[in-house]
Amino acid sequence: MSGTTTALAIVGLVVFGTIGFALFGVGRIKMDPAQYIVGGRSFGTIFLWVLLAGEIYTTFTFLGIAGLSYSQGAPAFYAIAYGASAYVIGYFLAPAIWRVAKDHDLLTGPDFFETRYGSRVLGVGVALLMFVMVIPYVALQLSGLQILLHIAGYGAYDTTAAVCIAFIVLAFFVFTAGLRGTAWASVVKDIFVLGAVTFAGIAIPVHFFGSPSAMLDRLLATHPQMLLLPASTAFHGTSWYVSTVLLSAIGFYMGPHSWSAVYSARSGDTLRRNAMLLPLYQTFLALMIIAGLAAALIHPGLKGTAVDQSFLLVVAQYYPPWVLGLIAGAGALAALVPASALLLAGASVITKNVAGDAFGFATSDTSRTLLTRVLVIVVALLALGVWLAAQKTVVELLLLYYNGVTQFAPGAAAAFLYRRATAAAVGAGIAVGLAVAIPLAAFNVSPWGINAGFLALIANVLVLLAVSLRSPTSRTMP
Amino acid sequence: MLDGVRNTAGVLRVLLAAIPIVALTLAVPFVNRVEPRFFGLPFLLSWILVWSLLTPGFLWMIGRMERRW
Repeated sequence: MSGTTTALAIVGLVVFGTIGFALFGVGRIKMDPAQYIVGGRSFGTIFLWVLLAGEIYTTFTFLGIAGLSYSQGAPAFYAIAYGASAYVIGYFLAPAIWRVAKDHDLLTGPDFFETRYGSRVLGVGVALLMFVMVIPYVALQLSGLQILLHIAGYGAYDTTAAVCIAFIVLAFFVFTAGLRGTAWASVVKDIFVLGAVTFAGIAIPVHFFGSPSAMLDRLLATHPQMLLLPASTAFHGTSWYVSTVLLSAIGFYMGPHSWSAVYSARSGDTLRRNAMLLPLYQTFLALMIIAGLAAALIHPGLKGTAVDQSFLLVVAQYYPPWVLGLIAGAGALAALVPASALLLAGASVITKNVAGDAFGFATSDTSRTLLTRVLVIVVALLALGVWLAAQKTVVELLLLYYNGVTQFAPGAAAAFLYRRATAAAVGAGIAVGLAVAIPLAAFNVSPWGINAGFLALIANVLVLLAVSLRSPTSRTMP
Repeated sequence: MLDGVRNTAGVLRVLLAAIPIVALTLAVPFVNRVEPRFFGLPFLLSWILVWSLLTPGFLWMIGRMERRW
């Protein structure tokens, strides 16, 4: 077997081995909607750990954080900080949301808005927004997967077909195994990814420079500004850093698939224990940052989106194919496992909130599971189509995801903190937040160096407060 | 739960929770320096890492105050 196929074969083995292992782990369980969509609300500390950690280590982490530290240095540190801040918020917010979900048998994020604010219109609106956000986010994972396969094949193959096959297999895996399957796959994914991250952040600097510390000495000598944040209002300066960490931390639990992960917990204390322990896991991201900085010295000169390939190119160039295969395999899992959770979340909001609640279609347990399963395949094909048709626009569409999910946070928090908040106020807040965030992000405007999404979040909160104050009645608190 | 905020112990817990968030956000412009370095890491990165590692300690204390563990 030649070198170019060895690495790709190992990636295939890792991906399909993980899917096989997860199917075995799930076994034969009767799938009612609660089992299929939120794991029967039975996940203990370990399962929940790997599911929530799934959101930390996506291809964005694997390629994007290393790429950001390769091209800009210190701004990449934000990735460590926002995770820890997010878990502090999650310690309070996630168990409160879980309690509501448990008491009212909720299945999806939009269910929470419908139940707490007594408004079907709000529930359906949130469901449609979440669905629209899921598609580009899945497509992004496919772009990441393609980069990984391209490098693992040493650039010798067109990997589009391989991406399509892997993704369709994944969709049928989700069809069969539901959220429980994603959790089992996450167990394997986390082991591989932690191994790969440790290799990238420790073995690479040791190999080339003697130690990570010696690598940093060299970097300080050649690029003295790279390990500092630029001045406050500059591009990726300190204002950007503070606003982005806050924005990302507030939005952390708001992704469509994060709601399912929260609902899947066995108890509120399971979520609290997770929130307490997960910041430790986040510190592993420092290794990806080190890997990106090392790549900047070893393999300089990458520009534009090519920076995302930084440390993988180093591995491809200087290490044997089997090492590249394992690292790219870990990266492929980091793309596919979160994508599986997203497919399920996208399908379940349409089944439950749009087909079921809005049109009274497929409301029995059996038909609801079946429809969700069919929609998993439909969402997968749709994401694949969007990715094949519009690879460039995907990046633009993603702005909708990153700036969009955070806009659900004020409504989620107000459900517990602000008695007067109404459905109309939450809906208006989300609408204004999106209307501010998307144009600013699309034209790449960041007033005073502040992240546009953060300004949109402030607008959202102000509108929520203003509209609530003008409405006469108040809700009962949970 | 968030409604715990309405008494003194609740306020104390929220303040405890705010410490690591402030350290990781608002404090960062003031620690944007390379020296002194710890284990070779620039001061800014060390600061962010140390506060991420301390965050579980703060949440553990809050959990103890709520008698959850």
